[in-house]
Amino acid sequence: MASATGAASHPVPPSLSLPPSQFARLQPHAYLLAHLSPPAASNQPSIRANGRASSQFRVTSANAGSLTHTNGSAVVRMGDTTSVCGVRAEILRTEDIASWSVSRTSNEASNKRRRLAELNEKPNEEDEDTAADDEEDRAHIEDLNLLVPNLSLSTGCAPGFTPGAPPSALAQSLSHQLLSLLHSTRLVRADDLRIWYQPPSLGPEELERHNDDEQMDVDPNPSGGVEDHKNREIKGFWVLYIDVMIISLAGNPFDAAWASVLAALRDTKLPRSWWDVDSEMILCSDNVSEASKLSLRGLPVASSFCVFEADAAAGWRAVVIPDAEEQKARSQKKGSQQRWILADPDGYEENLGQERICLVVDKEKGGKGKTVVLKMEKHGGWTVDTDDLRQLVDISARRWDEMKRILDQC
Amino acid sequence: MRTGQPRLGSQNRIAAYFAAVVSDESVRECFAGPAAFPILPNKRVYFARNRGDGEDKEEVEAKVQALGVTATSKYMGEQWLVHVPGTHTRSATHHPQKNCVSNFVTFTTRHQATTTFIMVGPTASLAPLYRADGSSSYTCPATGYELLGAVNAPVELPARRDALKPEEATVEVFVKPGTTTAGVGERYVEGILRSVLATVILGREKGLPRRGVVITLAIVGGEDVERGDSYLTLLPALLHTSLLALLSATVPLSMTFSATLLGVTKSGIIIPDPSAADAKAMASLHALAFSSKGHLLLNESQGRFEFDTWEAVRQKALAICQNTAVSADGDVSMAEGAEGAPLHDFVRETVEDQVHRDYPWKIDAV
Amino acid sequence: MSKEAPLSVAERDFILDALHQNVRLDGRGLDQFRPLSVSFGNEYGHVKLRLGKTSLVVRISAEVTKPRDDRPFDGLFNIALELSAMGSPAWENGRSNDLEAYVSHILDRVIRHSNALDTESLCIIQGVSCWNIRADVHVLDFDGNLTDAACIGVMAGLQHFRRPDAVVKDGQVVVYGVEERVPVALNITQKPLSTTFHSFDEGKTVILDATRKEEQASEGELVIGINNAGDVCFLSKFAGDPIDALFVVNKSNVAQEKVKEINAMVDKVLQADLARRAKKGMAEEAQAENDREVSPNDPFV
Repeated sequence: MASATGAASHPVPPSLSLPPSQFARLQPHAYLLAHLSPPAASNQPSIRANGRASSQFRVTSANAGSLTHTNGSAVVRMGDTTSVCGVRAEILRTEDIASWSVSRTSNEASNKRRRLAELNEKPNEEDEDTAADDEEDRAHIEDLNLLVPNLSLSTGCAPGFTPGAPPSALAQSLSHQLLSLLHSTRLVRADDLRIWYQPPSLGPEELERHNDDEQMDVDPNPSGGVEDHKNREIKGFWVLYIDVMIISLAGNPFDAAWASVLAALRDTKLPRSWWDVDSEMILCSDNVSEASKLSLRGLPVASSFCVFEADAAAGWRAVVIPDAEEQKARSQKKGSQQRWILADPDGYEENLGQERICLVVDKEKGGKGKTVVLKMEKHGGWTVDTDDLRQLVDISARRWDEMKRILDQC
Repeated sequence: MRTGQPRLGSQNRIAAYFAAVVSDESVRECFAGPAAFPILPNKRVYFARNRGDGEDKEEVEAKVQALGVTATSKYMGEQWLVHVPGTHTRSATHHPQKNCVSNFVTFTTRHQATTTFIMVGPTASLAPLYRADGSSSYTCPATGYELLGAVNAPVELPARRDALKPEEATVEVFVKPGTTTAGVGERYVEGILRSVLATVILGREKGLPRRGVVITLAIVGGEDVERGDSYLTLLPALLHTSLLALLSATVPLSMTFSATLLGVTKSGIIIPDPSAADAKAMASLHALAFSSKGHLLLNESQGRFEFDTWEAVRQKALAICQNTAVSADGDVSMAEGAEGAPLHDFVRETVEDQVHRDYPWKIDAV
Repeated sequence: MSKEAPLSVAERDFILDALHQNVRLDGRGLDQFRPLSVSFGNEYGHVKLRLGKTSLVVRISAEVTKPRDDRPFDGLFNIALELSAMGSPAWENGRSNDLEAYVSHILDRVIRHSNALDTESLCIIQGVSCWNIRADVHVLDFDGNLTDAACIGVMAGLQHFRRPDAVVKDGQVVVYGVEERVPVALNITQKPLSTTFHSFDEGKTVILDATRKEEQASEGELVIGINNAGDVCFLSKFAGDPIDALFVVNKSNVAQEKVKEINAMVDKVLQADLARRAKKGMAEEAQAENDREVSPNDPFV
C-alpha cells in the first residue's frame, strides 16, 4: 500500500517507473483508495481520483430546445455522460383505444368508470392538486399509456456497446425507471394531454360565442359555466413519446437521463388542438403562439451515489460479516474511514462498488418549502443505513438547488 | 439445525391469535384458556371464514374493528379472508404433522352458525421441483400471489461479455410473469434482485467462480404487474422465493434475509403488506429487506414522503422482519417479543420443516 | 449449456435392450401414459398438470382488444410457451431453443389451427372490440413428452376458463365483474389432443409418452393430433428414421383411444371443480346483493 500511495501522489516516482494512468488500470481499487485516504504525513486532503470531493457532483450543463423536429428537447451533460432527450407528441383518438368504449362494473374497475363520470361533470376543477385529480391522472396517463419513455444506450457511448445488439438489460431497466418515476411523481398532468370537444349549446348567446372564438378549445373559456361542461367529451389524447439517447456514458446514466427528460418536458409545447365536427377529425393549429406549454408538477431531481469500501474483499467471506450494531460500533472506534459514499459516480468508480443509492427529491413551494423525497432506492450492499441516508437526503437537497438553477437557465 | 429450543406449540399459538382478535363474547368462551393472551398491536392475522353461515362481511369486520383496528376482508377461494393490517403470523399450513388438526378452528357464534377460521399467512415449501438444483414455492394468500422459484447452480455459462468476471460467480435472475411476456419492468426488478442476491451469495467459494447461479422466478398465480407499475408489491415475495430456492440449492450464502412491504396512507398511517389494489391508493410505498444480522440490504421507496416518515417505516419493517430491533422503547419491544413470529423466523422454520421431512432418520438417531 | 446432458452409452443400451424385450424402465406398457394429474387453481383457467415427472402450469387470460383489420369478426387467441431454466437446466432464460419452437408449432397446429376454440364467438363489436384470449404455458419440470402435456394443459385451461360477461349497450361495451354476472365459458368446438409416439428398433418397437431419457434414445418420432371423434387434425413425422405407413393408421386408433381416455379424465376433474364452485356460488348470492348496493351506477339494478 505504501508503494501504491507513493505512485499515486508523486506523478513520476524515480524507482517505480509506472505512470499513474497505468497504475489506475492495473490496481483500480488501490488507486482510488490511495486518493481517498492519503497517508497522514502527506497533508493531502481526501479526494477522489477524478479530483472531486466525495459529495461533489460533476459539472452539469443543460441546453433545451436543441432539436428542431420535436415538441420539446434537451441535452444534458454531466461530466462525460451526455443524454439527449426528445419529446414527440402524437394524437391518440379515443375511437382507436380498444378499452375506451369498455366500461367495467366490478369492484375496483367500477371506480374507474365512476371517476370518468365525475370527470365529465366537473372537468375543470380549480384546485388542481386534489386527490380526485390525482386519481383522474392515474386513470388516464397510466391506463392509456400516454407517456412512453424509451431509453437507448447508443452504439459507441461506452466501449461495451456494439452495433446491432438488442436493448441491453441496463437500457430496459432505465426505461422502466423513467416510466415509473414519471408515474409516481405525477409530473405531467393528464389535463394537459386531453383534447376536448364541446358540443354547441342551442342558446343564441352561445351560438354567438361559437362564431366568435371558434370555441372547442383545449382550455375552454371558463365563462361557459358548469352546465356547458357536462356535455363536454374527450375526443383524443396527446401521447408523449419521450426518447432518451445516452450518447456518451461515463457512469450514472439515470441522473443524466432524468435531468434531460425533465428539461425536455419543461421545454415541450403542444399545439392547440380541437375536434372538428365537419371533418370528424382532430385538427391542430400551426400557429406557434397558440401552442401551450405543459404545466408540470414540481421539479423532481435525481441524485445517485455509489459506495466505495476500503476493504476490497469485504463482504464475500462468511465469517467476517459482523452484526449491524457491532459493525457500526466498530467503524466508530476505528479512526480511519472504512468507506466513502461518492456522489455522482463516474464509470471508473461505478466498477469499484456494488452498493448504489438513488434519491429523487423535490422542494415544496419552488425551493422555499421543505424537502420531500419522491424515490429512495438502495441496494447492492449493506453498509448504508439511516444516518447515511439522512445525510444523502441533505446532499440531494443541495443538488436540487443547483439543478434548479441550471434548468431555469437553459 | 436448531435443536432443543422451546417452541410455542402451534395449537396454543393459533388459539392465542384468535383470542387476541375476536372479541365476540361467545367466541371468547371457546378459548377461555388461551384468551389470557393480550391483544398485541403488531401481529398480522389472517382469518378465513367459511361462507354461507349467516354472517356477512360487515359482521366479521365489525368484530375485528371493535378492537380498534381496521380490517379488510375479501373473498378468496372458499372463505372470507379477514386481514388485520399491522398484524402478522406465520402460516400453519405447511407442516402437516404439527398443524393439520389445529389448523381449523370451529366455533359457534351467537347466531348458532358455525364459523371456521384458518390462519393463512404466507406459506412456502422447499424443493417442489425435480429438475432444478433447488426450488421453492411461495404463496401469499393476502395478495393472491403464487410464486415458484428455481435455482440452478453452479452451471457453466457460455462465454458472454457480461459474464466475464473471473473471480466470482455470475448471478442471473429471470422473472417470468404469469399471463404476459416479460418486459422492461421485469428487467428492472431482475436488476434489483440480482444486486441484492449477489451481495449475500458467496460467489467466491470453491466451485463458484466463473460459473453461474441462475435464478428463475415464475409468477404462477395472482394478477400481473401492469406496465409502468412498480414491482414493489411483489418484491418481498420474489425475494423470499429466491432466498428459499437458494437455500434449497445449497448455494453458499453469507447470511439470510427477510423482506417486507409497507405502505403509508395519505394521513400518515403505516400499513404493512398492502395488496396491489390498496398500494395504488397509498401516498408512498416502501419495500425493505434486512439481513439476518440486521443490515439494511434493500430499500425501495416511492411516492411522496419525508425522511422522518421513512425512519418510522424502517423501524416498523425491522420489527416485522426480525422483532429484535425496537429495544429503545420498552412497550413495543415487549409486544414484539411476545409475538414470536417475525418474517425471519418464517424463512427459518420453512427450512427447518424441510429438514424434518428430509432427515427424520437422522434426527431420530440424535 | 444449451443441450441436455447426453445419455451415457450404458444407459442407452440398457433402455434399448429393455425395449427390445418390450419392457420400459418404469414398468409401463408400450401404449401407456404415465400417471396424469390435473388440478385447477383459484382463478379460472389456472391449470396445474403433472404427467409423470413432467409438470407445468397453464394460465388463461382474457382482455378486450381491437380485432385484426383483416379479420374484423374474429377474436384473438394465442398460446405463449417460453421455456425457462426452471424446467430444465439445459434451457437458457430469455433465449428460445429448438424444443420451444417445435412444441409451440404443434400447439398452434393442434389447438389453434384446428379451431378448437371458436374465435368468432370472441367478437364483441365487429371491427371495434373483441376478446383476446391468451394461454401461457409455464414448464416447471421437464421429463419428456412436453408436447402432449402442454396440449392437455391448454385444452383443460380453455374448458375451465370463464371470461367476464360483456354486453353492448349504446355502442359501449359493458364488462361485468365475476361477482355480478356469471362469467361465460369459452366456446370449445372440439377437444383435439396430441399424442407423441417414439420408435425404436427400426420402427419395430413404438412407445407412447416417452420420458426424457427414452426420447434421447429414440430413433424417430410421430405426432398425431386427434379428437374424440377420430378426426385427425395434425400429423407429423418430423424427423428420424422412416416408419411403415400402415403403422400410422394403426397408431391413429391407439391415439384416439388415449385421447378419449384423457378427455374423460379431464372432464371428470373439471366437473368436480365446477360443482365445487357452484356450491360456493349458491352461498354467494346474499353477498352479491350487497355488492350491488355499493354501485348505484349499475344500470341493471
